Amino acid sequence: MKAGNSLARALKWAAIAICLVVTLFPFYWMVNTSLKPASEIFLSPPTFISSNWSLDAYTTLLTQKPLLRFFMNSLIVSAGTTLLSLVLAALAAYGLTRFFPGGATLFVMFLLFTKMLPETLLVIPYFQLMSDLGLLNTYFALVLAYSSFALPFSVWMLIGFFRSIPREIDEAAIVDGASYLQIFGLIILPLARPGLVAVALFTFLIAWNSYLWALVLTTDSSMFVLSVGIANMVGEYRVQWNELMAAAVIAGLPVVVLYSMLERHLVNAITAGAVKG
Amino acid sequence: MRRRLICAVFCALAAASGPLVAQQPIVLQWQTANLTESQYEPIWKQTIAEFEAANPGIKIEPILVARKDHWTKFVAAAQAKKAPCIVTVDLTTAAYNGYLLPLDRFWDAEPAEMRKAWSEDMLKSARWKGKLYGLPIWGGTYAEIYNRDAVTKAGLDPNKPPKNFDEYLAWAKKLTGTDHWATAVLGGKTDTTTRVLLTWIWANGGEAFNADMTEATFAKNSKSLEAIKFYLGLATRQNVAAPAPTTTNYLEQTTMFAQGKIANMRNAYWSMAKAEGDNPAMKGKMFVAPLPANIPDPPTLATVAASSISTSCANPEAAWKFIKFDAGRKWAVQRAKIANWMPLRNDLADEPEIKSDPTLLQFIRIGQNARSYPLPHPVWAEIAANDIVDAVQKALLQPDKTDDIFKDLDARLTKKLRDI
Amino acid sequence: MTDGDVRPVQRGRGSSAWTGRRRWIGHAFVAPVFIFLCAVVVLPLAHAFWTSLHRVRGLSRSFVGLQNYERVLGDEAFWHSLGVSLQFTAISVALHVLLGLGLALLLNRLSFGRRALRVLFLTPWMVAPAVGATVWLWLLEPQFGVVNYLLRAAGVIRAPLAWLGEPALAFASVVVVDVWRGVPFVMLLLLAGLQTIPPEQYEAAAIDGANRWQQFRYVTWPNLRYLLVVASTLDVINTIRHYDIIGVMTAGGPAGATEVLPVLLYNTAFRGNRLGDAATQGVLLLIVVLSFSAFYVRITRPDRGSPAA
Repeated sequence: MKAGNSLARALKWAAIAICLVVTLFPFYWMVNTSLKPASEIFLSPPTFISSNWSLDAYTTLLTQKPLLRFFMNSLIVSAGTTLLSLVLAALAAYGLTRFFPGGATLFVMFLLFTKMLPETLLVIPYFQLMSDLGLLNTYFALVLAYSSFALPFSVWMLIGFFRSIPREIDEAAIVDGASYLQIFGLIILPLARPGLVAVALFTFLIAWNSYLWALVLTTDSSMFVLSVGIANMVGEYRVQWNELMAAAVIAGLPVVVLYSMLERHLVNAITAGAVKG
Repeated sequence: MRRRLICAVFCALAAASGPLVAQQPIVLQWQTANLTESQYEPIWKQTIAEFEAANPGIKIEPILVARKDHWTKFVAAAQAKKAPCIVTVDLTTAAYNGYLLPLDRFWDAEPAEMRKAWSEDMLKSARWKGKLYGLPIWGGTYAEIYNRDAVTKAGLDPNKPPKNFDEYLAWAKKLTGTDHWATAVLGGKTDTTTRVLLTWIWANGGEAFNADMTEATFAKNSKSLEAIKFYLGLATRQNVAAPAPTTTNYLEQTTMFAQGKIANMRNAYWSMAKAEGDNPAMKGKMFVAPLPANIPDPPTLATVAASSISTSCANPEAAWKFIKFDAGRKWAVQRAKIANWMPLRNDLADEPEIKSDPTLLQFIRIGQNARSYPLPHPVWAEIAANDIVDAVQKALLQPDKTDDIFKDLDARLTKKLRDI
Repeated sequence: MTDGDVRPVQRGRGSSAWTGRRRWIGHAFVAPVFIFLCAVVVLPLAHAFWTSLHRVRGLSRSFVGLQNYERVLGDEAFWHSLGVSLQFTAISVALHVLLGLGLALLLNRLSFGRRALRVLFLTPWMVAPAVGATVWLWLLEPQFGVVNYLLRAAGVIRAPLAWLGEPALAFASVVVVDVWRGVPFVMLLLLAGLQTIPPEQYEAAAIDGANRWQQFRYVTWPNLRYLLVVASTLDVINTIRHYDIIGVMTAGGPAGATEVLPVLLYNTAFRGNRLGDAATQGVLLLIVVLSFSAFYVRITRPDRGSPAA
């Protein structure tokens, strides 16, 4: 019995290890390439660990290219999107779960419907809309665009989460004379914190990684976000792979850090929100 | 009397404030895919700086876009009538779609000494339905570039490059060994695939289209089909081309050349700068030869990049000023020297930088007989990057079906060519 | 938080706070999202519909009714693309779910390192799809990519493989990259789901003599079924719309082997400059996606309630 157990355990860890290698190898290669000097990138056989590793690519990026500026722009846009989405989604989820317990389905259908058209088709009319409103080259246009992607899933997740907060709590507060807005802000939101954190994480990710919209809606290079800055590094004539990978690492780090710190909330929220539907 | 005094004061004030009011600078946006190329960056920054210094009141705002998204961004903006003023795009397609302004009124007003720096042929490449839609600024002539060391190592004479297809094949066989090949066949999903294909077709005396581009003749013209089979056969039958041709673009081709994986590439002058950038050891180790051909005096291909003014532009006169400035001799020479882009003016033969660059002179000579690219048809952008590439990829994967594949292509293209 | 009370409160039981005239307050809460989405998504959507009824040549358009639909539906490229899309989505989603479930089961029983592993396995989802695809492009490069190098060094292949240059290989490659990107999120969902299954159910089953497989079938599966359906339906909707990975890696090549609908659409709109045709393809894609969503909605109607054993 014991032997069987340890064999099973060994197999399990072997399986996990294989999956881990496949999952993480591209990142290892990303970092490896970003540290190599340009002359070593095309060496055949490729080097896995090199004595020539240096942070040159990173310093070039941070000093000669406005990567920090792009980083700030990404941060501002992502934070703005997160804020807007959180507020709107929380309001909507509260309203739906409290006042229309049966009608949520219809609304979720509507939400899903808004996600169905491919981005390519939305780009041109959206550009026209933003241009007419004079919002080109503004953070606001991007925040609006990204919020529209993030909202459907956010609302869906928060519906599940809010639904698991019993209405008796609200009703007790109403008896005490609180207004709906007070109940929403002072009672429900704090209870729903894991769900809100999860939605925030999710939304931040969507905004941080999005490309097509920033490409089209910003022309001023001081307004570029990271994904656009990175894409501009791919010239057809020359690609500095080490710098490109370094930029990708810089772009990926904040998300990884954020998620590591807050990942527990994500799981809790999904547990409460998504599992119970 | 007092009235006249007041009037005079008023008029003097008005006259004095005139220039103050006009102080609001005009901002012109400039978008071309090359602004993100690192070798061009110092040049365009200087161009803008000097233009703005000479023209206070006009500011140039460069729009940086990744090359692959350049057209997407332009179209999205043009549809909302907010495209940048100065653009370099596929001229015929953009003109046909109403995105560009005809420039005849500016051009005709220029003095003759300026205008004669552009030959009529050169201007024709920027005309659509008789109107001029752009000023050709720079280009690239396609020639054969060889790695001198690889050639001598294979026992071949660099001073006697192959002149026709058979000689080319003989060279190729000698230049191929384990893990290195003579050349690369371009089959990736960009229009460079089409460019190289056209050069092979023309070098055999074939034609891909009829004279007024209403019919495709890839298969219909037997010389074209013969050339296609020979060229694609380098990869599929002769095994003298690097593997994975269907994913080989300009980038893979030049990288492989710089790393010594292939001994020869058919490319333009700028690819040599790229190879040197990738691998500094390549400097001085490359030599240039005209394309091997089965007919006397074959045309090569010359890409032409022209600066145009979009219809969204609110200040076309200012935009024309910049285009004229950028097309000047100084910048043409800089671009040639630093970025290796061919000047399209015909009056630079005496410039010292041009005269002292033997490779450049070689390219200029080879380019004396060249057809301009892109081909002048509104759907060219699509067929060059989609349909023709698809056919090349199919033929690389199923060489036995080459005839049918290109017959299909002819039918499909002919339909598209006529559907405008 | 009690694990019950997910069913809607019965009408009439303390419900005066929520019904009647106060309903409009509910509307007020929901209104911002509704209006926002209407403006930002529905308007362009309507614009796309409208465009699909026109022949667009740059700035000029002419109304042609349903002619674009006739033409697109009669174009063999569209049907080929639809086929590739369906194949790609089916295989991708199936792998997402299978591998996601497998990983979740593996991680669930771990006594230590679960949290760290969770974050590590989530990383492919955190990087932008286009960036991930670019890195994979570099890994799969035939001459200089490390994958070919490793395979040759291990003796598995003798000549470099054209991972993106042969139709079958290219299809497999983009599926692999999409699986790499898509599994983490499914795994996270299922892991969360697994953790809500009360351990008493497993203990009861073990006492009854059930082995591992039977425990899975009678305890795990019924509890997860609902979540699995939800996850896979959402996944289908997302995967069928996905452009970035294939756009970056193959642009639909070689010879159309990986040309899924979003890629065809992008090429038609921006390489082909046929915005009317592109809008038509988009509307047709929307109809395909709509049918999946209808399926989703049927499954997740409130009367399904919580997944009881």
